[in-house]
Amino acid sequence: MRIKRLTQLSMLTAMALIIFIIELRIPNIIPVPGVKLGLANIITVYAVYRFTAGETAMLVLVRIFLGAVFSGNLSALIYSASGAALCLCGMLIICRIIPNRYIWLSSVFGAILHNTGQICAAIMVMGSFSVIAYYPILLVSGSIAGLFTGFSAQLILKRKDLCFNGQSEK
Amino acid sequence: MTKQLKILLVLAAVIFLSGIIGTIFVLMPSESGMVEIVQDGKVLYSFDLTATKDQKIVITSSEGKTNTVEIKDGKIFIVHAECPDQTCVKTGVLYSESLPIVCLPNKLIIRFR
Repeated sequence: MRIKRLTQLSMLTAMALIIFIIELRIPNIIPVPGVKLGLANIITVYAVYRFTAGETAMLVLVRIFLGAVFSGNLSALIYSASGAALCLCGMLIICRIIPNRYIWLSSVFGAILHNTGQICAAIMVMGSFSVIAYYPILLVSGSIAGLFTGFSAQLILKRKDLCFNGQSEK
Repeated sequence: MTKQLKILLVLAAVIFLSGIIGTIFVLMPSESGMVEIVQDGKVLYSFDLTATKDQKIVITSSEGKTNTVEIKDGKIFIVHAECPDQTCVKTGVLYSESLPIVCLPNKLIIRFR
């Protein structure tokens, strides 16, 4: 059973990485640092609702680190890592309150928390509060992107039986 | 829909709306011409854009990566950056007081004072 779960987790990590790398190829229309579609977070939202807290944290950690290595942008690691840490803490609490039908809402909160973490990291790294001006823009773009990823994850969760033999987890 | 859910929904809507209002506020163009270039929290250059002649400045970060800043017709922008994301180049011309040109990898900020 342990091995089966490990395999599922590594499969999901691989899928998240593939989505992440494909997303790198999509040109960014808004030239603000931190604005991103974050399609790989579909997998994160899915994992939050399907796996335990520790397993989700492992998945996200590996995805963030390998994503930074593959994109060759290791200096951006601190921003994505702090964003993901805050997002994960918040979402693991929120997913207990929000039922499966409203996953999009918890995904929006995840995105907002992610951007908050990113801005905090940027303030610390830059040693200046001027980057806070990006926060409102990040909030708007993050909410929209979070809504989209949330709906996608909700669609996948409805079809979970197809992927994993209808095994009841969690 | 439970009560907690409604509260969270309203909270998300409030955050989104304040984000939109904040964005409009942030994007208002600046009236002053005083610009400073800051790296690692230290001010490297400081000048009045309206009284500066066209020029190019090359700034090297502590890790040896360079950013090329250009001033042209009273406007300032980054033409070249040695970083993977090129966000600062795509940002274009500096026009808003609260929206500086930022290069996160090289810890460089160009802003109005």
